[in-house]
Amino acid sequence: MAVDTKERPSAPQQTDASAEQEGRFQSYRIRTGMFAWMMHRLTGVGLVVYLIVHIWGLTALTDPETFNALIAKYHSPIFKVGEFALLVAVAYHAMNGLRLVLIDFLGWSPKQKKLFWTLGGVTAVIIAVGGWPSIYALGEWLLGPGSMPTLFL
Amino acid sequence: MAQTNALNWFLHRITGTFLIFMLITHFWVQHYDHQAASVTHEVVTEKNEMPDYPDEAKEGVRARLGPDAAATPYQVVMQRLADPVYAVLWKGFNILFLVVALHHGFYGLNNVMTDYIRAPMGRLIARTLSWTVALGLLIIGMYSVITAGW
Repeated sequence: MAVDTKERPSAPQQTDASAEQEGRFQSYRIRTGMFAWMMHRLTGVGLVVYLIVHIWGLTALTDPETFNALIAKYHSPIFKVGEFALLVAVAYHAMNGLRLVLIDFLGWSPKQKKLFWTLGGVTAVIIAVGGWPSIYALGEWLLGPGSMPTLFL
Repeated sequence: MAQTNALNWFLHRITGTFLIFMLITHFWVQHYDHQAASVTHEVVTEKNEMPDYPDEAKEGVRARLGPDAAATPYQVVMQRLADPVYAVLWKGFNILFLVVALHHGFYGLNNVMTDYIRAPMGRLIARTLSWTVALGLLIIGMYSVITAGW
């Protein structure tokens, strides 16, 4: 939620209890913004873990044989699935992050519902177009060569 | 402390915006460009089998190493990282990418940890440990990038 200013004061307080404290953990009613925030967090932590593994793996660059073995492994079916999952996480995190930057820096909070769905559409396109090669490769492997449409590859 | 927090909050948004553009470049060159991509997207291999690269990559490697050179993953990457001209640019890009990604990732991770770790001592330990890991990765990553192709 954006910061309230004199020009744009906060909306009147809603009286329905959207947060209830039960024991150690607070439970919240999950709305769109909350879901976006939770996913941002989850993908963010996942991407940090990936970044650590990725930088560590690239020490293989110092030796051609090790590097060849590493990259050959990156072409295995399980890594193709991982590659797609990585794209989904990066695309979501990048587009939701862009939404936050536009709201924080350009004050687009009045337009945030529209912004959310527009960037949601952009994210879907990035995942579909960017992820197609991985899906194509997996399909060819599962169903046999020539079974997948080449499209723009 | 308060001032560095505000600066880091600001930097987090700047690095995030930069990362969008850097990731587009990184993904394009590593996965989609037919000559430069080392993890070529259309190919799935069985165990211990080397990936078959597109003709553009094979030609690129031959142009660099002679008509008999094979397009191995290492040589495909070396088209860029051992090039007498472009290597400096690509290594510069990679180091900048490394710094920006590490700052963004570990600042974000610290935000998450601060939300769940309540004790001041616990927070201090988490912060110290995570930034030590980040520094270690920066050194390792820079070493890999700089010495690649030597």
